[in-house]
Amino acid sequence: MNSVEKMLCPVCQVAFLFKEERVLGKRVVCPVCGAILVLSKNNREWILERPKDITLEEEIRARVENFARLRGYRFNEMKEPLIEALLKKHEKYGDFYCPCKIDNIPENVCPCLETRQGSVERDGHCHCGLFWK
Amino acid sequence: MKSVMLYTLSTCPFCKMAKKFFESRDISYNFVDVDLLPEEEKERTVAKVQEISGRRAFPVIVIGNEVIVGYDELRIKEALEK
Repeated sequence: MNSVEKMLCPVCQVAFLFKEERVLGKRVVCPVCGAILVLSKNNREWILERPKDITLEEEIRARVENFARLRGYRFNEMKEPLIEALLKKHEKYGDFYCPCKIDNIPENVCPCLETRQGSVERDGHCHCGLFWK
Repeated sequence: MKSVMLYTLSTCPFCKMAKKFFESRDISYNFVDVDLLPEEEKERTVAKVQEISGRRAFPVIVIGNEVIVGYDELRIKEALEK
């Protein structure tokens, strides 16, 4: 069944319009943050979940690459040290929090809120130097 | 010579680049990896960083009286030459 209604991204916490066919286990890319998500069911309700069948490194690499593609941003030599730093943050604090911010809170999960709100357009790059205009 | 103080995080690549910038030029500097401080000292230091920079993001580079948020080589060089 196809129905157009909003679904919540569990990564960026933004609800976006979901127009695709709903198939259990289907992979979806969040149009806001680029996260790879999986269609699932919680009781009778459709939900989106973070994938459990890929590694953390695969998850964050796919997310930042999707986000860059969605926004038309590019990477440079800062990318690999930042992927490593994001993985360390996950190991220590349980999620991909921005390596350059002290607060390990949902709005600082990469791509962080200020980046999603356009700091790359304003400054030429995100605060960390992962995404470049 | 102006005093140089770096407020950094151990996880932040731009913070490492800021340290290298001063090391490679033999410019003496002090630094603190804020995330590695004991909890109480960390809170105090973050509050101070927020007061001088308006942010809770790193690096924050203080050269003399000038405060630079983020790693901006041009601004660092200008502040050193002023």
